[in-house]
Amino acid sequence: MSLLQEERKIILNNEYVDSFDFAEVSEFVKNASKDLFISHHFKNKNKMLVQPRGGFPTYKKQFALNEFFVKANVDVLPLTIDSNTRLNDYATAKKMLRLSEENDVDMLNGYPLVNHGYRTTRKMITHFNKPVSLRHGTPDARLLIETAIASGIFEIEGGPITYLLPYSKNFPLDKAFLYWKYVERVCANYSKLNEPINRESFGPLTATLVPPAITIVIQLLEMLLSLEEGVKSFSVSFSQTGSMNQDIVTGAVIKKLAKYYAEQINCGDAAINLVYHQWMGAFPTNKDYAEQLINMSTVIASMVGADKIITKTREEASGIPTKEANAKTVANTQYTLGILNGLPNIVDEEEEEMLTLQVKAIMEAVFNDPADTLWRKVFNSIKNGIIDVPFSPHIINHNNMITIRDAKKNIRIIKRGNVPIPDRCYAYEKAQCDLTKDTTSIVNDIIHDIGIMQ
Amino acid sequence: MKVVTGVVGNDIHVVANRLIELSLNARGYEVFNLGVNTYLEEFFDAVVETGAEVLLISSLNGEAEGWSREVKLLKAKYKHLDNLIMMIGGNLVVGSANAEDIIPKYKNYGFDIVCHQVDLNTGLDLLESFIKDREVKDRDTKESNE
Repeated sequence: MSLLQEERKIILNNEYVDSFDFAEVSEFVKNASKDLFISHHFKNKNKMLVQPRGGFPTYKKQFALNEFFVKANVDVLPLTIDSNTRLNDYATAKKMLRLSEENDVDMLNGYPLVNHGYRTTRKMITHFNKPVSLRHGTPDARLLIETAIASGIFEIEGGPITYLLPYSKNFPLDKAFLYWKYVERVCANYSKLNEPINRESFGPLTATLVPPAITIVIQLLEMLLSLEEGVKSFSVSFSQTGSMNQDIVTGAVIKKLAKYYAEQINCGDAAINLVYHQWMGAFPTNKDYAEQLINMSTVIASMVGADKIITKTREEASGIPTKEANAKTVANTQYTLGILNGLPNIVDEEEEEMLTLQVKAIMEAVFNDPADTLWRKVFNSIKNGIIDVPFSPHIINHNNMITIRDAKKNIRIIKRGNVPIPDRCYAYEKAQCDLTKDTTSIVNDIIHDIGIMQ
Repeated sequence: MKVVTGVVGNDIHVVANRLIELSLNARGYEVFNLGVNTYLEEFFDAVVETGAEVLLISSLNGEAEGWSREVKLLKAKYKHLDNLIMMIGGNLVVGSANAEDIIPKYKNYGFDIVCHQVDLNTGLDLLESFIKDREVKDRDTKESNE
């Protein structure tokens, strides 16, 4: 038996798992409908796929939410997991699920997949026969993704960097890399049985003034960590920056470089797709304005040429959205996509060159780390500040990079910290901003720049 | 002047915490930022370790109220913290309430400066004037003793 299989047995021998039948699950994946695989839809699509966010604690409510989404002509269903499961606290999730079922009040902010189990959840997934995307935020997602794939969920979001740096203060980053290596391997193995399982990275990170160079570097590194384990379908992603031009430039550079770096490790055969997140920052409380913002995000996603868009709702500012509001966004987004025709082709060569130089310089610094494996190189690079994510709460993050918006609302790096931004690019970034101000006014500008959509 | 700061409890809201650090640095303080998700003991330990004169605790999700009830009890276990300037700010209740009700409550918990939903620079101005007032008072006491 391989080491991986031994580890899988230990993980699945959890007291909250009702006897995991390895042979039966493999047989299920092998014979599963192609419609459940987002990788199959990416291959054959002729439009941008629309995917909302959403997860309710009980099976009944999740089923009802999915019915609403299907009526609104959804392309990809979400399954958002509750925060206890994300922290591997299945005991609390179980208790809260029972309370939710008995009292008809939601005691969890998502679907506790491990507690529901794959036999139950599979019924729902195969009933709707739509691809489902697993949305979570889990550093140790080993049991969760085993349960997801066994349920028929063939897109797994996340990664060791993007699910840790924005969400945790002190979960050990080296452990996260090893836990995600398991996830990649399991996804790669199941991918041999039918259409590939798709892995998706979480590009928005902290969604707070993250410069495109940092976003792209982290997307590329999580892509490489996944492809080197044998994953054949991967989505890179980013969220609306606040400047349409910067979004278009980011989209162009990430597509070009994802292909380039995949080929560098002889994984050019893997399918790489681009996902765009509608505005992930603070939303206006005015629900009509929120709808305008969502609509604008859809237009930009089209300009960017995304393969999938992940939607927000008009209730974003006020909490977890109702199923009605959530489905409404899906219908509206589909409508906008349907009428968006004859888009102009915009190319900003200077910005693309500047961004490409920045990304390549950081990537080179990561590869030049003396460690023996890629994950260790990436780990060291985060530890020594070569990769620095603005507003990450994690203790390992350096927080020495400072970013601000220029007059056109592009996010610019005005303090690079230890990140090896080439001098020419650094001078260009700073030249776009007014740096004569004192720190107090810059802090006020940052506060304003974070809240520009409110 | 040395300041220890951070976000109390299981609160992970990091944005304001970074901005507080930047602003304090800009005003010439030496900042020891413990970041989000910090427990009360960690704050006092850091004050002892660094010899800080100011402790600035912040909260966004409002759970500060639960924690603050233990401040006096905990502080009494440490020696030499009598002159520590205690400040708290952010959103200091779960739900909503008036500043007039909240401020006396927190002063009673042992804080010298309490800022409920006050803008960052206004809050730091309050800290500066508090420090100045205290210097004047200390000088007066010293002079009258002489």
